[in-house]
Amino acid sequence: MAEKIKLSGGDMLMRSLHEEGVDIIFGYPGGAALHIYDALFNQDKIDHILVRHEQGATHAADGYARATGKPGVVLVTSGPGATNAITGIGTAFMDSIPMVVISGQVASHLIGTDAFQETDMIGISRPIVKHSYTVFNAEDIPKIIKEAFYVATSGRPGPVVIDIPKDMTAPDILFDYEYPKTINLRSYNPPVIPESNQIERAVDAIITSEKPVIYAGGGAIASNAEDELFALNEIMDAPVTNTLMGLGIYPATHERFLGMLGMHGTYQANMAMHNADLIIAIGARFDDRITNAPSKFSPQAKIIHLDVDHSSVSKIIGADIAVFGQVKNSLDLIIKELKNKINEYDKNKLGPWHDQIANWKADHGLDYELYKDASDTKPILPQAVVQHVYNITNGDAFVTSDVGQHQMFAAQYYHFDKPRRWINSGGLGTMGFGLPAALGVKLAYRDEEVVCITGEGSIQMCIQELSTCLQYNLPIKIININNEALGMVKQWQDMNYGGRHSQSTYQNSLPDFVKLTEAYGHVGIKIEKNSELQTKLEEAFSIKDKLVFVDVYVDPSEHVYPMLVAGESLKDMWLKKDKKT
Amino acid sequence: MNRRNLTLIMENKPGALARVVGLFHQRGYNIESLHVDSIEDISKYHFIEEELDIKFAPFEISKLTIQTKVSDSLMLQILRQINKLIDVIAVSNEESTYLKGVLINENIL
Repeated sequence: MAEKIKLSGGDMLMRSLHEEGVDIIFGYPGGAALHIYDALFNQDKIDHILVRHEQGATHAADGYARATGKPGVVLVTSGPGATNAITGIGTAFMDSIPMVVISGQVASHLIGTDAFQETDMIGISRPIVKHSYTVFNAEDIPKIIKEAFYVATSGRPGPVVIDIPKDMTAPDILFDYEYPKTINLRSYNPPVIPESNQIERAVDAIITSEKPVIYAGGGAIASNAEDELFALNEIMDAPVTNTLMGLGIYPATHERFLGMLGMHGTYQANMAMHNADLIIAIGARFDDRITNAPSKFSPQAKIIHLDVDHSSVSKIIGADIAVFGQVKNSLDLIIKELKNKINEYDKNKLGPWHDQIANWKADHGLDYELYKDASDTKPILPQAVVQHVYNITNGDAFVTSDVGQHQMFAAQYYHFDKPRRWINSGGLGTMGFGLPAALGVKLAYRDEEVVCITGEGSIQMCIQELSTCLQYNLPIKIININNEALGMVKQWQDMNYGGRHSQSTYQNSLPDFVKLTEAYGHVGIKIEKNSELQTKLEEAFSIKDKLVFVDVYVDPSEHVYPMLVAGESLKDMWLKKDKKT
Repeated sequence: MNRRNLTLIMENKPGALARVVGLFHQRGYNIESLHVDSIEDISKYHFIEEELDIKFAPFEISKLTIQTKVSDSLMLQILRQINKLIDVIAVSNEESTYLKGVLINENIL
């Protein structure tokens, strides 16, 4: 038998990560992680991206994971390194993004003594991880890495934290190294294939439905189910809506696509959901931004819910038919069963339903002609900025966003035809996500256009990552939709608080973003006039080898519509400042 | 709100109990009673070993019993949330059991 290789804990960690196919890590060194960083230095298989703040590391790894489907890997030190990573871990948890976060910890004998940079990372992160590990014995490192990656990527994905006390990675203590080939996690068994009787019931409901809607979310993207969803609807010919997290799973330019649904969903998507007789929920969890008041949600609809997570089904809206399993597999089985009964399915009977939807769209659909008005008598509309970006990038860019009005305008006006191109913090709603996420996406796809649509509030939460973008030469395009206020907060204050703008404006204290960008070694462009919007955006995108920060001053009074009326049903929307349905 | 009894079989590992308890306080549910034992005599749980084709060693698993006040409508959600925890092998209330992710319509624990 060949002699096993002997490695230190730190070297075992690097070897194990390599065995898992990791080629890039996002992180920031510090005392408790220094043994690991030395092991990183002594190998050449894995690149490390030095961010400027640990929150940036987690968002960058998250953006990388969302764009590629591979788990993002983060390496931080103990104490503040670990706590700074928390917001990014919470972001990944809420959106079910696979991530492995390795945090250094003080040496075992110091744990519990209030040692320098000691914090209970496992305790602090517990409610926002899928699972976590502390390394108590260095020889367990390969097994723990293997398990962590399996847990993070299987079932409903999510972040996994591995806390490693410093003595576990000491360079002078060597262990027999062998990477485990199999996993024995006897207490974890995510459903993969659904029960056949549920498939039959789902297909029977599809056959009898006259007003179906397919409602697909982030779980469909996590399951890589775009081909199956498309194939199913080639047979069904039903209207399709996507959640904020699901945009791109069904082509947005397809005639059956209704747009996003929910709080700022399109009129036709919300009306179709409210009036449907069948809702097929695919990897979507009936979040409160989708349902409005659950008691008034879609009164006539039968619900088929496809999900890998038992706890997501009937949590908010009761499911009539629950199909547990990877939604890709479930859709495949539904397609097969529907094909078997194809004689019983008549897609022509959906004609009146499509007519009804077309009428809704004609009545109050979004206006996609806004960008054509380039007169300087009016301020720039934020929607028009997104439309120009869409046109210039041929609808084919990776678009990250932050959180607020700009995020909703991007979701409404950039039409995503492919999954994993729209990268945003949907569940946690994390301002500061966009720039580091774009950095992570660009590292995965250096030849693709990567755009960060942000606002002057969000961008300042992680703006230090401009420095990282220079170090690694990442020519992303940042579109700062600048309304000189925390726009979504201000919108709510306008609508619900008598227009009292409590702490949502900056009193002329904003930085000169062009100079700031130039100080970081990038290109800055300022746009203040409608007539120069298109040409200056085109100029920005013509610069291929440098990061360009475009600071666009837009109409500060603009609101995002439609907007659901709080406490009502999906048919109750504000359509304009002075008009309700 | 009714008093409900939950029984869990889970890995006897540091942190496993905290994960279970966390699910309760996070949702504002109070625990009225709680008892944990690491299990030496595993013969009582041969049926789980057989069902899942695994082997337990003495003190490798723990039995946890919790009494809590919760509405019937939330009971299933709590079971599902506990079932989702990686260290939990089985969880039951008076009428049903999740055994490694599979729902059984009786309390087998």
